[in-house]
Amino acid sequence: MTDIAVSLEHVGKRFIRHVDRRNSLKERIIRGRSRTSEDFWAVKDVSIEIPKGSVFGLIGHNGSGKSTLLKLMSGIYRPTEGKIHTDGRLAALIELGAGFHPDMTGLENIKLNGSILGLSRKEINDSTQAIIDFSGLREFINDPVKHYSSGMYVRLGFSVAVHMKPDILIVDEVLAVGDEEFQRRCEDHLYSLRRAGKTIIVVSHGMGQLESLCDEISWLEHGQVQETGPATKVIRSYLERVNNQESVRNAEISADRSEDEGSMRAGSGQIRTRSIALRNIENKPLDHAETGSTTRLAVTLNAKESILGPNVRLAIQHEGGALVTMLNNHRLGTDLGVVDGDFTVFVDLLNTPLLPGRYRIHIDVFDHTGAKLLDNWSDALEFPVRSQRGEIGQGFVELPAQFTLSTQQE
Amino acid sequence: MLSDLYARRALIWAFANRDFATRYRSSVLGWAWSLLQPLATLLVFAVVFSVVFRIVPPPLGADPSRGSYAAFLFTGLVTWNLFNSLIVLSMSQLKSNGELLRKVQFPGWAPIFGASIVQLVQVLLELIVLILMFFWQRNVGWTWILAIPILVAMALFAQGIGLMLSILNARFGDVQYIVVVVLGALYFLTPVIYPMSMVEDTASNLVVFIQANPVAWFVQAMHDVMYSLQAPEWWVIPGLLLLGALTFIVGLAVFNRNSEDIGELL
Repeated sequence: MTDIAVSLEHVGKRFIRHVDRRNSLKERIIRGRSRTSEDFWAVKDVSIEIPKGSVFGLIGHNGSGKSTLLKLMSGIYRPTEGKIHTDGRLAALIELGAGFHPDMTGLENIKLNGSILGLSRKEINDSTQAIIDFSGLREFINDPVKHYSSGMYVRLGFSVAVHMKPDILIVDEVLAVGDEEFQRRCEDHLYSLRRAGKTIIVVSHGMGQLESLCDEISWLEHGQVQETGPATKVIRSYLERVNNQESVRNAEISADRSEDEGSMRAGSGQIRTRSIALRNIENKPLDHAETGSTTRLAVTLNAKESILGPNVRLAIQHEGGALVTMLNNHRLGTDLGVVDGDFTVFVDLLNTPLLPGRYRIHIDVFDHTGAKLLDNWSDALEFPVRSQRGEIGQGFVELPAQFTLSTQQE
Repeated sequence: MLSDLYARRALIWAFANRDFATRYRSSVLGWAWSLLQPLATLLVFAVVFSVVFRIVPPPLGADPSRGSYAAFLFTGLVTWNLFNSLIVLSMSQLKSNGELLRKVQFPGWAPIFGASIVQLVQVLLELIVLILMFFWQRNVGWTWILAIPILVAMALFAQGIGLMLSILNARFGDVQYIVVVVLGALYFLTPVIYPMSMVEDTASNLVVFIQANPVAWFVQAMHDVMYSLQAPEWWVIPGLLLLGALTFIVGLAVFNRNSEDIGELL
């Protein structure tokens, strides 16, 4: 009995990558063994110790070896070198419902999938009810799964897998399944497994989720461990790297957009919004906004005639559809005076309180009474918001708030 | 090695259940097909070979003055089908379960044995029809009991070969086509549609090849005990059992040695 659930010692996995794979006998006989094969180390020299009862996360780019590492831990792949030791029953959610047969009913598939995952017949019978209840598919349990929607399919798969009562649960990018309610149930279940002292190993690109769930995280890059440590710390250095790389790549492509001829426009047309661009406070173009630092939206307009005190309104909408806020120069007490011809309005989002995600801007221009629509431009701009501190929690905005500690009795 | 099979029997059963449940699920006649198909083959063959080619069946054990080509043919067909279907089914299992093997860790032989169990049930049904046929021909004898060890040996033999071929087929996609051709040739080197006596008369130089074909040994033994109602020489059945057991053990060993990285190949 040790305190380590999974330990990896200098684990490496090599794949033979045949430039032209000889998997036909004819070619194998005629041309002999492929000589142009090259080795590809998907995972190299990885040493990790995952303590029992902890939640361990793996992060990294696509192709950094996360999934290979999970498959090594779950025994689907054998390591080319190094040693892997696991202590306790292990269940892997690599792909939910991988073992489902489309012609069989949900119930039959529960039994089949259960035994593939290593449950005894008694354990399956005992947990069938719980699985059906958890999946919420009671009505459909006697229908062939080929008639299920993809969401139902995955829900059933998840329900079977989490009811194996594993000591170690491996979860690969599968938490983003089902509807909001089911996702919450999955997360609750993971938390309850965690409270029960089970070990959970999770791969995800949802940094917020990882940060709230994980104790420790390993950051993989090109099959090698870049950093292992407390979740918050590793996520921060990972995001720093990602953001840096991205701004180098996108240095010249800044996020801005100008009026295109085909777009649907409403309003009287006395004013036309020409373009909108994302900038920083020094007017340098940006490709994304950053939580906590001021972002400038430069809106260029053109008035066909002289117009008194136009009312420019910017609706900020989250990619999920929710309206985050509406900015309105009249309400903020800014009078633009009389405008004529081209002019630019700067809208500065002070210390950008938006949380990471993608946001869209819609622009409306009204006359000084606020009753007559002069111009309307939907989906004028879409831009990402990133954070140096990682994705913090959930929602859209960070309210200016303050936490203080008081030990006095009120 | 064999205790692993016992330890994972629930898994093998689960695969067998899956195959049982899905085999004829989307067909109207369902399991009736498992009998209609061999009976149709029997009918066509019986007509073609006894009427058109005038193959004369050997005398029945219970009444040497008569012969029944249909009964002779079906005895051979049931035995051959056991061999043929186990190999063809086993060979394709790794590929058809590839999706699963790439994502979940479990022994690759489990779906193979599951599929074989379902096929054995099918053979059992055919065997019942064969027995009814012999009752109808009033050709019944104690030697029937010997059919059990012969068929067990045949199943082990075929399964051993099937296990090895399944690994080869996972690596080289064209193995299945070669095997189908070889099985087709082997079929005609096995006394299923013709009696051995006929080859001895008309094409005696072929006899050596037929005698060298292990499948022919099993089929001939079945003809002896079911049709001619004669017990074969004392060493035949132990010999066949030994051959079957050895082939199976070797097949399983080869399979286990080579199936560890199978998830990557599929």
